[in-house]
Amino acid sequence: MQEQITAPSSIGQKLQPYVSFIGPMAMIVAILLFMAVVEPARYFRVSNLNQILLDAALYMPMAMAMTFVITQRGIDLSIGSVAALSAIVMAFLIKQYAFPVPVAALIALGLGALMGLINGLVITRLKVPDLIGTLAMDLVYRGIALVLAKGLVLARFPELLTEIGRGQSFMFLPTPVVIGLITMLLGYFLLTSTHFGRYTIAIGSNPEASDMTGIAVDRHRVYAYVLMGTMAALAGILLTGKLNAIQATSAPYFNLHVIAAVVVGGTSLFGGRASIVGSLAGVLLLSMMINALVTLRIEFFWQSVASGVVIIFSVALYTWLQKKDRDGVAGMASLFKYPKKSKTFRLFAIIVASLFLLTIVGILFSGDIKPSG
Amino acid sequence: MVLVYFLQIGVLWLNQLDWGNMTLQAVTETDNAVIKMRGITKQFGGVVALNNVDLTAYAGEVLAIVGDNGAGKSTLIKILTGVYQPTLGSIELDGQPFSMSSHSDAIAAGVDAVYQNLAIADHLTPAQNLFLGSELTKSVFGVRILDNKKMKLEATRTLKDRLGVQLKSMDVLTESLSGGQRQAVAIARAVRHDNLRVLVMDEPTAALGPQETAKTLQLIKSLRDQGLTVIVISHSLDDVFEISDRIHVQRRGQCAGVVHTNETDNEEVLSMIVGATSSGATTTA
Repeated sequence: MQEQITAPSSIGQKLQPYVSFIGPMAMIVAILLFMAVVEPARYFRVSNLNQILLDAALYMPMAMAMTFVITQRGIDLSIGSVAALSAIVMAFLIKQYAFPVPVAALIALGLGALMGLINGLVITRLKVPDLIGTLAMDLVYRGIALVLAKGLVLARFPELLTEIGRGQSFMFLPTPVVIGLITMLLGYFLLTSTHFGRYTIAIGSNPEASDMTGIAVDRHRVYAYVLMGTMAALAGILLTGKLNAIQATSAPYFNLHVIAAVVVGGTSLFGGRASIVGSLAGVLLLSMMINALVTLRIEFFWQSVASGVVIIFSVALYTWLQKKDRDGVAGMASLFKYPKKSKTFRLFAIIVASLFLLTIVGILFSGDIKPSG
Repeated sequence: MVLVYFLQIGVLWLNQLDWGNMTLQAVTETDNAVIKMRGITKQFGGVVALNNVDLTAYAGEVLAIVGDNGAGKSTLIKILTGVYQPTLGSIELDGQPFSMSSHSDAIAAGVDAVYQNLAIADHLTPAQNLFLGSELTKSVFGVRILDNKKMKLEATRTLKDRLGVQLKSMDVLTESLSGGQRQAVAIARAVRHDNLRVLVMDEPTAALGPQETAKTLQLIKSLRDQGLTVIVISHSLDDVFEISDRIHVQRRGQCAGVVHTNETDNEEVLSMIVGATSSGATTTA
């Protein structure tokens, strides 16, 4: 056994922590290359890159929190509704009751935390499986948001809120991007330097052992959902500021988009493997991909097809990597050495090919390509 | 006259004192039991898992617990480590009554366990595993955060000094270690506590290859030589005969007897396990 540990030595060992990160980076590079060939003029314009960051910023806080939830083997499908409901309440406080923006925003964050707490308690106390629990709570929160706002679109907020949502006060970085990056840094700190982060990995890795070690498993799972709720509320605030409007049906696909970003970033759905940097890369990747589809003038609805395919692709990839875990990077390299193992590799080639095929079909069906405006 | 009288009383008193000391010493010499379980009975609903079991373990010995599946071995050590509470019976630690309501009570009192399904988080590094649940912290700007560097140093030292194990790298995830190394990390987590007196190991060699098994057995011996009481549950009689000083045989929830390892052989123990010799089956040793 001793030899096995020394075998992948230097390069393999050093690469090991970054494996999760390599996947999304490779895909980002692929998109960049693809766009550099197909549509460089419009894609690489500063205003467009700015737009990509602005889109990504919305998902950064949620992806950070979702990293913790998923690492603990949990899932939260209610974040879209949590974001919408907190934003609606904040909007009412500002528009109807003339609350100052900071106070209303803090109340929204608190409300998000409360909704996260309810999610966590439903899962840990009532023992409802997370998938069903958060899906049901999604209906509840969305319903309350609809009851409150009816079909109303609440719009035109004070300048402070739009500054938070789409301001440009940090030179080349939009304000929400700065906020998003700060939450990412906070997440990295939580993961590496606090008990919560350490126990999150332990719980996801081996729940029974964590319990036996004396870790309050349920309490730390609730913490993760509270963090998730708070960050969803923050996203709701950012969204309101970005659009300068909010309605009860806003943010419908936050959940899948965020889960996709986190999973693409190498955080394992099977627990224990967390990567905040990967989640950040995942968020950027999805934003770049969707922006690329928009730039290519592919019909909006194809975005949803592409997102779905990316989720399947990355989960399949990481499940396969999981099997190869013990060999780590060396296992991945062995893929190319031993042709017998290339069966899975061919599968990925097929998936990638079908992704490209879909893109082409999308281009064909989206009809006339107009000149850039 | 009076003085002599007082002197005599003094001498008598001194004598008495000395005498008392001597008896005290004699008692500790013959009975240095670290753990004394008496009349342990455990019922799960209508099922009697343990029926009036006695178990004594001394300092610096390896006590093996053997028995068929369902003989009550695991229940017995789970009671000892505070995971279960006995329905009836008492436990003494160093002659003091000892009652626990949880596993952490047992750890605080110096009794810890390394479980069969290694209680290790594969996605943490060895050092993170070693300190799981009792992390070292440092204060940065008044905020208590984990002191990862110190934990790594301490973990390396515990592994090296107490177990003689040196890992190639402390930065890899525990999942990439071999079975024996993972076992060492699990044991190191238990022995890291300075007040550890009794280490319970459930099937320590079950998942290991021959080389790893030899290494783990060596580890157990060195822990015993450090003065620990090691209680080992094992299905492998070969391992039991190699490391244990005494063997406690469980059969159908009762103690089928306790034998000194160097006074018995494989066959006798085996027959006690399956209950072939009725004459040998005494409830206490």
